[in-house]
Amino acid sequence: MSSYEIFVIVFIMALVMVLGGSVIGLLLSPKSKNNQKGEQYESGIPTRGTSWMQFKVGYYLIAILFLMFDVEAVLLFPWAVIMKGMGVEGLYAVSFFLVVLILGLAYAWRKGALEWK
Amino acid sequence: MDYSQFLLMKPEISLALTLIVLLIADLFMGEKSKQYFQPLALVLFAAHTAINFCDCCGGSCMAGQSEAFSGMYITSNIHVFVKNMLNVGTLLVFLFSFEWNKKENKEHIAEFYLLMMATLFGMYLMISCGDFLLFYIGLETASIPMATLVALNKKRNESAEAAAKYILTAGFSSSVMLFGISLIYGSCGGSLYFCDVVKNFTAEPFQILAMIFFMAGVAFKISLVPFHLWTADTYQGAPTSVTAYLSVMSKGAAAFAFMVIMWKAFSNIDVKSTFVSWTNILWWIIVITITVGNIFAIRQKNLKRFLAFSSISQAGYIMLGLMSGTAEGMGSMVYYILVYLFTNLGAFGIISNIEDKSGKVGMDDYNGLYETNPKMAVVMMLAMFSLAGIPPFAGFWSKFFIFASAAQAGEYLLVFLALANTIISLYYYLLVVKAMFINKSDTPIATFKSDKMSLIGITVCTVGFLFLGFISQIYEQIIAWSFGI
Repeated sequence: MSSYEIFVIVFIMALVMVLGGSVIGLLLSPKSKNNQKGEQYESGIPTRGTSWMQFKVGYYLIAILFLMFDVEAVLLFPWAVIMKGMGVEGLYAVSFFLVVLILGLAYAWRKGALEWK
Repeated sequence: MDYSQFLLMKPEISLALTLIVLLIADLFMGEKSKQYFQPLALVLFAAHTAINFCDCCGGSCMAGQSEAFSGMYITSNIHVFVKNMLNVGTLLVFLFSFEWNKKENKEHIAEFYLLMMATLFGMYLMISCGDFLLFYIGLETASIPMATLVALNKKRNESAEAAAKYILTAGFSSSVMLFGISLIYGSCGGSLYFCDVVKNFTAEPFQILAMIFFMAGVAFKISLVPFHLWTADTYQGAPTSVTAYLSVMSKGAAAFAFMVIMWKAFSNIDVKSTFVSWTNILWWIIVITITVGNIFAIRQKNLKRFLAFSSISQAGYIMLGLMSGTAEGMGSMVYYILVYLFTNLGAFGIISNIEDKSGKVGMDDYNGLYETNPKMAVVMMLAMFSLAGIPPFAGFWSKFFIFASAAQAGEYLLVFLALANTIISLYYYLLVVKAMFINKSDTPIATFKSDKMSLIGITVCTVGFLFLGFISQIYEQIIAWSFGI
């Protein structure tokens, strides 16, 4: 049996398992309907209003600043793992990266992006 | 790592330093010293321009091409020359926007300069790329701040609309292009360096598909038909100086980078069909671009929209330089961009000057301009003549050389079609001249005195498009620096 045939069999089995499970569930399970069941899950709070509404642009600024530090952390992790191997050169590169980021934060701070107006 | 590689990136480093110094200056300047920001930015950028210009012209010429970062970054004399051209153009845009910044853009002066330089930095990277990744990064660095610049006039709805259209098309085009690049990566041996791609590029259908996706993405940036639909609205809604920047610098840089990539990555000399396949596609794109740009330009009543369509057809002419694949092709294209830079910026300088003073941009508003502002009208006329390609002006010579390079490659039909289109373009360029000189108006634009900065800029542009055609050393030098496939 070649590897492709095994793949086909596994693929068909997967389809049968998944579809069969849900079809049997549909046929056998007892059903009850009410409005609350149809709502999106919002951590237990009832949803209200439409999603097409205006909200404060300040959220965006905070989100973007958060993203900046999020990405920064993601980029720092791999460096932290091999910090000793990279030596002083790695330290310089990362400090340059941090300086540029801090400059961006300083800019945002100075322009009042952190004040909640 | 070999840190001496950074020495090759002189233009990038000096631009980045200028940018960072200005950013820090903006952060620490108080309310009172804010008025000195603009002169400081101008002086620093002029210094950057001058240093790089001297570096390019005075002595330190490179022999051939040099690489840095294992082929990621490529530079040579022609690359540095194109960067210098962009510097001069950006400086001219800064001069034109000096008065506008003072009056209408008080709150965001620093952002205007910083974002302009950031886009310029992206263009530098685009020009010098030796790898699809660096090209992509450069392209994004150039286009994301650009959207912010288009939206700079945020109190006006049109500006916001223009920015929305720009950012949506930019996002869409770069996703198409990224898909193309990923297909190239998959089908050309798992490398994105141009020198590796070209070896494995054998014009299989799959690779042609990848190449077309890539071409479509770049064509959005150069606004070639059928990817031009954002151009008119964005140009109209953006602040005029940003429009000028968008129509010349962004287009010129993308066109040069496009040429280098098509030649380096998609032209395998052993497999002749690779060159033939993309020149065939480009043939049709050029014909459609020039024709559609010209025909739509005829019916425009708003001068910024009018110049948008004119710049679409000019982009078609610029693309003629790609057809031959020789050093003459590259040289004539760079020369075309150089002349186009001075001419189009001259026209935009006058439009933005008049818009600042009177708020009018319609073609009908220009009726009778010769009687109230004769000097402006004459310079505008000369710029229009140069754009149309009437003999004594530089626009004629640039068109002449670029047609000659395409004809050398045997593309006679293409050159004929382009020539026929030049005649159509003459009609609509002369419409502007007719409005200024012949049409009478009851309410012409009042006589005004323009500010010094704009005057300097317009003078430089005028000198550029009047005399560039007569100084043959420039063209010869460009040809000597250029390279073919």
